[in-house]
Amino acid sequence: MIKDLVIIGGGAAGLAAALSANDPKIDILVIERERELGGILNQCIHNGFGLHVFKEELTGPEYSARYMDEFMNLNIEFLLNTTVVDVKKNDDFELTVSSFDQGLFKIQSKAVILSTGCYERTRGSITLPGERPKGIMPAGSAQRYLNIDGYLVGKSVFILGSGDIGLIMARRMTLEGAKVLGVAEIMPYSNGLTRNIVQCLHDYDIPLYLSHTVTDIKGKDRLEQITIQEVDQNFNPIENTQKVFDVDTLLLSVGLIPDISLFDSLEFIKDPMTKSAIVNQYYETNVQGLFVCGNALHVHDLVDYVSIESEKAGKSAQNYILNLNSKTKSNNVHEIKYNEKIRYVVPQLIDFQSINAPIDFSFRVTKKMEKAIFTVIQNNQVIYTKKAKHLAPAEMEKITVKPEMLIDQSQISILLEEVLT
Amino acid sequence: MYDYIIIGAGIVGTNIARKLSQYNVSVLVLEKENDAANHQTTANSAIIHSGHDPKENTLKAKFCVEGNTLYEQMEKELQIPLLKTGAFVVAHNHDEELMLKDLYERAIRNGVTQIEFLNKEQASSLEPNLADSITQVLSLPSTKVTYPWEVAFACLENAIENGADFKKNSEVTSIKKNQDVFEIEINNNEIILAKSVISAAGIFSDQVAYLLEKNVPYQIFPRKGEYFVLDRKVKGLINHVLYPLPTKVGKGVLIIPQVHGNILLGPTSTLQDEKELASNTKVGLDQIKRDVKAIAKNIPFNLVIRTFAGIRASSSFEDFYIQESKEYTNFFHVAGIDSPGLTAAPAIAEYLVDHILNHQLIKKENYNPLRTKKPTFYNLDFEKQQELLKENPRYGNLVCKCEKITEAEIIDAINGPLGNDTIKGIKKRARAGSGLCQGGYCEEMILKIIARETNQSLDQINYYGLNTPILAKETKVKL
Repeated sequence: MIKDLVIIGGGAAGLAAALSANDPKIDILVIERERELGGILNQCIHNGFGLHVFKEELTGPEYSARYMDEFMNLNIEFLLNTTVVDVKKNDDFELTVSSFDQGLFKIQSKAVILSTGCYERTRGSITLPGERPKGIMPAGSAQRYLNIDGYLVGKSVFILGSGDIGLIMARRMTLEGAKVLGVAEIMPYSNGLTRNIVQCLHDYDIPLYLSHTVTDIKGKDRLEQITIQEVDQNFNPIENTQKVFDVDTLLLSVGLIPDISLFDSLEFIKDPMTKSAIVNQYYETNVQGLFVCGNALHVHDLVDYVSIESEKAGKSAQNYILNLNSKTKSNNVHEIKYNEKIRYVVPQLIDFQSINAPIDFSFRVTKKMEKAIFTVIQNNQVIYTKKAKHLAPAEMEKITVKPEMLIDQSQISILLEEVLT
Repeated sequence: MYDYIIIGAGIVGTNIARKLSQYNVSVLVLEKENDAANHQTTANSAIIHSGHDPKENTLKAKFCVEGNTLYEQMEKELQIPLLKTGAFVVAHNHDEELMLKDLYERAIRNGVTQIEFLNKEQASSLEPNLADSITQVLSLPSTKVTYPWEVAFACLENAIENGADFKKNSEVTSIKKNQDVFEIEINNNEIILAKSVISAAGIFSDQVAYLLEKNVPYQIFPRKGEYFVLDRKVKGLINHVLYPLPTKVGKGVLIIPQVHGNILLGPTSTLQDEKELASNTKVGLDQIKRDVKAIAKNIPFNLVIRTFAGIRASSSFEDFYIQESKEYTNFFHVAGIDSPGLTAAPAIAEYLVDHILNHQLIKKENYNPLRTKKPTFYNLDFEKQQELLKENPRYGNLVCKCEKITEAEIIDAINGPLGNDTIKGIKKRARAGSGLCQGGYCEEMILKIIARETNQSLDQINYYGLNTPILAKETKVKL
């Protein structure tokens, strides 16, 4: 099979990328491992999606349905229940793909968009002490069992980590009749959106224990009891602060990691902060023709931003394919510099060879700040400033740099300074 | 009535079962858990030691050296994985080099034939991530690693195919001897008769023996060991088993490459009273992080995918205790099998059957020592994969994407001669869920496959033990 563009992953990112990459001259294939398109949105039956893109509040399935309808109208080819098992790159990409219906086969493609989403950090990766009974699982897995399969994983629940999925599941399991005894967060602030703290915890009187973590787990075969403890500034448990909860379930909402390990063989350069590829403003990696977007690039808290970013990635892939013959490797690429109050910036690189559209920079801050100011500097001159309020590590920030702001083709720095009142 | 009942389906019980299944005798293996290989065998270092470390003139020393060789035979007959890593024992200064010399001499006396000293440069060229502080290593090329779950399952499968019986979820609750016949009661309700009983009950050996004997000649001291597991992305970072110098309490914290590319770090060594409390502790895990620095550099703790702990059945007897009961003829103890128990297990089985049982056994004419392993799809080349797909399209459905395990392999694990219908049972057979996401993605798919293959509803599927369902109840509104 020979294609111009293969999009791996048919969730929010893949669908948006496919719509914008669509062109009569481009042969596109979307590969989805699940039995339907839509990705993680299918199990996100709560509302809160679409406020930026559609200016209205939708559920996850409603949001993905809008993209899916458009996608179906365009008759873009897609494969379901199909997994990419290997990727190689010579001039073109060679994907090895597998499914029950078609077996194992190869696809050649000029360009590839990775829109494979992210996976949940596990108990192992945060080294939780204690025994290893059943009843401890990532919150997203429990969400799938609940919203797709129709089963509760437990009746008395504690949640470790205040990521959005954990907060959403605290409410969801409560509504289904489970007793949620609390949420512990090791950081002194919540890792979820403020609206989720209010709507999922406060509204249901579920306590949030900040600066707390789980320090013991009891139960040989089935989870029986957990202990949480307050932690000091170095995250070490403080003596005599133990609280014990008898629960049958411990859900983990302790972070998401871009799911790109299938593509490790391509050896693209990674950003240790995002744990995914380093990209330029076209969302292209150092591997020519390989684009990454959505949660596979960096973990977003709003799907709207996934869609907006992925549309850009799709457009870039379209340009790449249509202008393949005239494409030369740019030697005018600069890394974005930023100060310590910023945890990461995406895209990490600017290619000055052909800037013709505004560049959206997404980033996360390293600490909570009530008021702050962003400054963009080029060639020792301030080219843009922006005031910001209520900054928190849990909420992704954005600034846009327009081509006309740029003075020359030298490096850009983004500085964030807290404004103390 | 059985000729032999073996209590315990760990690495020792399953090797004994396989050995006995060569003969014209009836054999039953009893296991209290919902699967074989679920205590010491489930949580250990997976090393086939060379035999350099046990005290001279002990059964541990003898069977370690013999067992190391027997694993090569098992590799051929049972198709178990064996990674010939070799091992380095490391020294950091003159005093430690003297201890290394003592260890060398002990190894020679134990019958280890492949052994040599390497200086720092020689060692570092073979193992670039050795700690810079190391001055000399003792190289033990015969050290290997295996996959202990598969070894135990393979032995028991092979025993079953040669006529042995296996009963899981069968805890021995009483043992009586009535004239020449043992009456073994399981789960307080069923009696099974046997002419001979072999107790290979691991951590519970002394408790099982006390069901019969007044004076049990040893006491089991549970000794916990904690470990980190690194993702298989680290493959190649460390290629030899790396040991510090042994201490009184054991071999110390090691770095152990695994057959599927992972690396284990551990174990700690802590005596405790509880026989089943295999919990991880901050103290233990912090100790591992500290101790490995003395043997290797560049260990990526950000690639930890799991921690676990296991309990070794150390005994007051210190050496392996493999003897007939002094109170009851035909009751046999195989106890105190702590390290190097995994290595020694096949040699223990031979010794027990050939020298301790003292029974006239006649070989079966149709005994088949071979086990045909089910295919691991992504270990095969493209052409072979295409052939398999023609036979079974379920190889096309990738379930565990981290470890690349297909639906067909999961079905093999459910339906094999020693099949299992639990999430962890499938993980221990097919390795689905062993990778980076630890089943976060594939557990639900596996659950559904098990339910379909075994005609159970989704909420009947257990994590591992009986009554450990993953799903608690149906939601209020069922679509």
